[in-house]
Amino acid sequence: MEQTDQLILDTAHRLFADQCDAETVNRAENCETPDRLWQAIFESGLTLAWVPEAAGGVGGSLALGFNLIRQAASFALPVPLADTLVANLLLAKSGLSVSAGCWAAMAFDGHEVPSLLQGEVSGVVEAASGAPGATVVVVPVLEKEVVRIATFAPSAIDMEHHESLAGEARSRIIFDSAIPSQLSAPVDGMTVDGLKQFCALVRACQIAGALEKITDLTVGYVRERHQFGRPLGKFQAIQHKIADIVGESALTGAAVEQAVRKLSAHPVPFSGDSDMLLPLATAKIVASEAAGRVTRNAHQAHGAMGFSFEYPLQQYSRRVWSWREEFGPEFYWSGRLGMAVASGISSHGSNHGDGGTWDLVSQ
Amino acid sequence: MESVRFSFPAPEIDESVDELRKEVRAFLKEEVRSGGFIPVTDCWCAGVDPDFSRKLGQKGWIGVTWPRQYGGRDLSALHRYAITEELLVAGAPVHAHWIADRQSGPLILAKGTEDMKRNILPQIAAGKCFIALGLSEPESGSDLASVRTRAARVEGGWEITGTKLWSSGARHCQYMTVLARTGERDPDKRHAGLTQFLVPLDSPGVTVRGIRDMSGVEHFNETHFESAFVPDDAVLGAVGEGWKQVTSELALERSGPERFLSTFIVLEKAMQHSAAGMNGHQAAVFGSILARIRALRAMSLGVAALLDQGHSPEIEAALVKDLGTRLEQDIIERLREFWPIQMKQGYGDEFQSLMSDSLLRQPSFTLRGGTNEVLRGIIARGVGLN
Ligand SMILES: Cc1cc2nc3c(=O)[nH]c(=O)nc-3n(C[C@H](O)[C@H](O)[C@H](O)COP(=O)(O)OP(=O)(O)OC[C@H]3O[C@@H](n4cnc5c(N)ncnc54)[C@H](O)[C@@H]3O)c2cc1C
Repeated sequence: MEQTDQLILDTAHRLFADQCDAETVNRAENCETPDRLWQAIFESGLTLAWVPEAAGGVGGSLALGFNLIRQAASFALPVPLADTLVANLLLAKSGLSVSAGCWAAMAFDGHEVPSLLQGEVSGVVEAASGAPGATVVVVPVLEKEVVRIATFAPSAIDMEHHESLAGEARSRIIFDSAIPSQLSAPVDGMTVDGLKQFCALVRACQIAGALEKITDLTVGYVRERHQFGRPLGKFQAIQHKIADIVGESALTGAAVEQAVRKLSAHPVPFSGDSDMLLPLATAKIVASEAAGRVTRNAHQAHGAMGFSFEYPLQQYSRRVWSWREEFGPEFYWSGRLGMAVASGISSHGSNHGDGGTWDLVSQ
Repeated sequence: MESVRFSFPAPEIDESVDELRKEVRAFLKEEVRSGGFIPVTDCWCAGVDPDFSRKLGQKGWIGVTWPRQYGGRDLSALHRYAITEELLVAGAPVHAHWIADRQSGPLILAKGTEDMKRNILPQIAAGKCFIALGLSEPESGSDLASVRTRAARVEGGWEITGTKLWSSGARHCQYMTVLARTGERDPDKRHAGLTQFLVPLDSPGVTVRGIRDMSGVEHFNETHFESAFVPDDAVLGAVGEGWKQVTSELALERSGPERFLSTFIVLEKAMQHSAAGMNGHQAAVFGSILARIRALRAMSLGVAALLDQGHSPEIEAALVKDLGTRLEQDIIERLREFWPIQMKQGYGDEFQSLMSDSLLRQPSFTLRGGTNEVLRGIIARGVGLN
């Protein structure tokens, strides 16, 4: 990683550590919006990590943004930094203006996107993130297979606010021949599937960050908590659960890191090109599978304490349980990955033939 | 609170690694086509073919990381990694030289005498010299420090007495690295007083007997040492340092691709069989396995990169082995859904036979080289529990 990237990550880490303790996260769910935290994040410019310097942003690499997202998740940040980063990236990539104080909500959930017809947008987004409180809603729209980015003032559209399992805002937005306040030109190389893959990686990185925190919480807990005159961590049954947690968490880390590297080497991050499917699907499959395994072991090792609202574990468990479903759970991506490899092998004129699975897997 | 964080960097893979990989791949394809070998599952343990090992030696694909003066090619660990991956996924019969290339050769290079390096390493690299591991005993498995094989000082050398059990491939080997007790047992210092020897298996007093495993292969062995004499210069490393040497040797061999690719050949064939008519459910099963393999590979390559950078990623390596060996077993269990395993060798069908051989061999995956329970203990201690 570049040195400047590390500096930004360190700054972010200090900010999160200062302003986002476990209580802040719990209070956020009890209707005490963490304005101070969110404000500090805006002021630090972190939401603009993926916006080019020329457009007033930080001009950070893809890796920087994904690392930031992973780190934010390890604090269960109760503000939509990850999705705002993506929304701002969409604005920047499509040539629309981004402003520093602008809270951009992302009206894209990986399902069908609204359509654009004669300048009007129609369709439903079931789970837009970060909408309540946002100053602008960013929505990819489709016109004759071509993706453009549209923006709306929240007051101009019909929104119904819901919450994810983890209390994160997910709004149902109905666009009924709505006229966007800004509409981009067609975005070069961007596809809806490419966007979905990108966002799946965002969720996978979030899961990776949260699993790291769950690992720390659990290791810390079993060292502190004594039963039968010994720390729980002395019991082999508990040690083996910890080893499982550490393994799944590390594997998730490896899976998201390889995906970020592959994506970084690709000229268009939202292309949905077939050679990106394997690394991105891998990340979301491994992360989503790990989410279930890690939380099960972590809760078991924590006893009743982990089941209480006050103890922070549940904030992470609920987050990974909702993130693993968003932008496609492991079942969805496994099916696609399996099909992709199968068709890579059997497609006419393919040079994969015998040994083709390995050929594709080892790329 | 400290935090448990790992990072698995991408190794620097230059063109020459890819070139070498292609070359190995093409060679293996041609070998299969021309009947040079029949692909086997778990090939690095079940596929013994000294002639094939010699062929690889002629190609210059054994001991590639060792210095030229000792028969190596001064190539990087990643060159070796690429070679081993290609051999594994092709199901090539590589067991004869595998241990010497992976483990004993590097040990000799690090700790051996100049004579050993000059005489033995080039032979290993040529695919002509094979080495077995003499660690386990009838009464010592996971608790390796309890070995009872003794080496007593005699004039000009040592006399070894005891029994080594489960040594893979020993019947095809010229040497065995033997872990023996040379100092008195001290309950407070269980790991002291152990020494490694490099013992020629044709020494008087040494007998090797094959043991048939449940898959029908006579792959591991029982070796008796009856006051077998070895000269002083058969000591491998330093007297009393055996434990340290063995544990670092084992730590190094945990993260290689043979810890998640032992059954890949079956997956490859299964995919070939079903690719054309694959349904959604099958695709999801394959996809989930393939994703895990990709992630493990990233992890394993990450460990290789860390080693290359001079780190000692012991926990990471243990994680690769624990996760990888369980995946190798899972692959077979999950493929059973589509191809039940009932007959010994299918009905003579190549694929069915790979499936049944895999099932019969898979109990060993989570045992050999230190059990997964032991690995998990290492991982737990590594993150601060003990
Ligand atoms: C295919 C194969 C090849 C092999 N090749 C070689 C070789 O070349 N050279 C060689 O020296 N050895 C070899 N071995 C032996 C191998 O190293 C041992 O099988 C292994 O170390 C375990 O020892 P054991 O079989 O005596 O089992 P044990 O140690 O008796 O263990 C039996 C069970 O108890 C568990 N257990 C033991 N201690 C603990 C503990 N403290 N906590 C929790 N669980 C525990 C184990 O995990 C295992 O599940 C090979 C084994 C196999 C299967």
